[in-house]
Amino acid sequence: MSDQALSPTAKAPPPSPPPRPPGSGSLIGRVWRAYAFRRFRRAVLVVFIVTNAGFFLMRAMPGDPVDVLAGQISQRGVSPVEARALAIQSLAFDPDAPIWKQWWEYFSGLATGDMGTSVTQVGVPVSDVILKVLPWTLFSVGAGVTIAITLGLLLGMLMAYRRNSRVDHALSLIASVMGAIPNYLIAIALVTLGSTVFGVIDFLKMRGRYSQGVEIGFNLEFIGDALYHGILPIATYTLATVGTWMLVMKAATTEVLGDDYVTVARARGLTDKRIALTYVGRNAVLPLVPQVAIALATVIGGAILVEQVLAYEGLGLLTLESVNNRDYFVLQGVLVIGTSVVVFTNWIADLVYGRLDPRVRVSDVEVTS
Amino acid sequence: MTEPILSVRDLSIMYTTGRKTGVTAAADVSFDLYPGQSMALVGESGCGKTTLGLGLLRLLPRLGKVSSGEIVYRFKDGMSLDILRLGKEDLRKFRWHEAAMVFQGAMNSFNPVLRIGEHFTDTLRSHEGGERRLTRADIAERAAELLRMVRLEPARVLRSFPHELSGGMKQRILIALALALEPQVLVLDEPTTALDILTQRSIVEQLHELRERLGFAMVFITHDLGLAAELADRVATMYAGRIIETGTAEDVFYEPRHPYTVGLIKAVPPVVGDLPELSSIPGSPPSLADLPSGCSFHPRCGYVRDECTGTRPELTVLTERALDEGHAAACLRAGEIEYTRKVVASA
Repeated sequence: MSDQALSPTAKAPPPSPPPRPPGSGSLIGRVWRAYAFRRFRRAVLVVFIVTNAGFFLMRAMPGDPVDVLAGQISQRGVSPVEARALAIQSLAFDPDAPIWKQWWEYFSGLATGDMGTSVTQVGVPVSDVILKVLPWTLFSVGAGVTIAITLGLLLGMLMAYRRNSRVDHALSLIASVMGAIPNYLIAIALVTLGSTVFGVIDFLKMRGRYSQGVEIGFNLEFIGDALYHGILPIATYTLATVGTWMLVMKAATTEVLGDDYVTVARARGLTDKRIALTYVGRNAVLPLVPQVAIALATVIGGAILVEQVLAYEGLGLLTLESVNNRDYFVLQGVLVIGTSVVVFTNWIADLVYGRLDPRVRVSDVEVTS
Repeated sequence: MTEPILSVRDLSIMYTTGRKTGVTAAADVSFDLYPGQSMALVGESGCGKTTLGLGLLRLLPRLGKVSSGEIVYRFKDGMSLDILRLGKEDLRKFRWHEAAMVFQGAMNSFNPVLRIGEHFTDTLRSHEGGERRLTRADIAERAAELLRMVRLEPARVLRSFPHELSGGMKQRILIALALALEPQVLVLDEPTTALDILTQRSIVEQLHELRERLGFAMVFITHDLGLAAELADRVATMYAGRIIETGTAEDVFYEPRHPYTVGLIKAVPPVVGDLPELSSIPGSPPSLADLPSGCSFHPRCGYVRDECTGTRPELTVLTERALDEGHAAACLRAGEIEYTRKVVASA
């Protein structure tokens, strides 16, 4: 990058240069146009749109938090009218305010990082409610997706290298079947088959996030326990997604194996290992990188049902509860966080893609014009 | 008496297509290539030239198999290698070190995610042996030397990714890369096909020069008869998987004895001189899965006689010469075919 872009000898360009070269203009202008910042702006926009959708859809649903709270209160023997008044009092917001006012209050709060307070757990900040469950979902989904991708890439490559062999046929069949079963059915199957037919799973012990009485903290007992309880959700996410990765990777590898540069690499007498990793593997993985973020979004969405089946208190279960209780603020918080996680992963995937594929990154060989 | 560096005997290559059917893409091909000699394989698309070239390095695609024959490579000291019987590791070492190949369409010959420099590193590292390990500097120096041989500027090229270079540059880089281990045999599969005529010219000249300097033998696969005439000492015409005429470039181009070779020559307009009547060969090449009986060329041949449909003519020597350079043609009427044409050499 040269600092002489605005040197006095440079003639003023004709008035048609909207794509200005990077490195020109004021600092603010440069930051504004910088790639990373462009991505950031788009990410904020995505989160904003999703949160808005959540905001209006929730309010468009029949029933509101007042109904839910009043219902709970009236069970204690209070008359319905009184219960309703009590419910409205206990709310941290005015449910009868015009919707534009509610919208403004929520989004101006959100801009300062305040996501409001929960309706059902009266007075508890939404951020606390979410932080209590978020790590668990990130852990189980993250581990499941990571294992599924690793396994899927390896097996997919094996299938492509051995295509039309028995191994390939068997794995293809398994992968297609696994890919077609919804994740919650896999969770149910794991629990029922695992406990009754095979007797390897003690669901009463394994359900939930950790055993009662175990102290949460950075100690071996807790980590071991969390891993033990994580087995079922992680296995579910792995089994539910590994098939797709296998098939996609097989297709990608098969295509790369037919590329000229692989034949040339063999002609050059490179070792099989070098060819498989750097010539075949790296090129086959390229088109899959952007799919990681999409897969993550799908799995997080699937967590709603899986966590329900496995009684695993995470983001999914929280989403379900907050929808049922019309807990507007928690649900909107979940949407903000969930979308951010996916958008962030997408961004990471893009960066990785740029690292892996020189064709999409800006050339560092100086172009002289 | 010099021994051939590469001897191919009755080589047949099959592609399996369905359950049991196979297609013979190269049939009973035999030739000897002598050290430093340059042989052109010419013929229409689909006649088996590329398959034969790939077969020499055992690089056939998955469905291709050598069904019979022998390929023997001889070292200078007289030791010989039976290429078709080489184990995996020996084959790997043979490739590029003894025989390298420049591929059709160098556009896609490089790994898109690696810099050109890494291609040289990979190649040199895969074949380093002996006591001394190559240092980075050794590799950089060798790569630069090779690139200068094809008149490229090493510093810039080595840092570039393949997509940053033009087709002509990539073709030259591939030639440089092919010479990295000083192979004795270089197989070139239509190395200039996708390039403009000026780039073609300069690549051909560089090949000439490099061959004189380094003395490797060359198998030059092309459908460009002009190139073949210019680069080859010997020419073999292929039709439907078989060599149907072979001889010195002079013999084959000035006195072709197979009607197919005559047809090929007639189809090319001369660059200089009066434009004679051009003619194409009627019909199209036969499907390899369903070859005509007898001589495969008979349905398109102007000299066809009844017996051509019954027996397939063998490659018969017409003029004896030393070093397997005799003129031979596989045609029953080879003796009667007279074709003379004032060929103005373009070189």
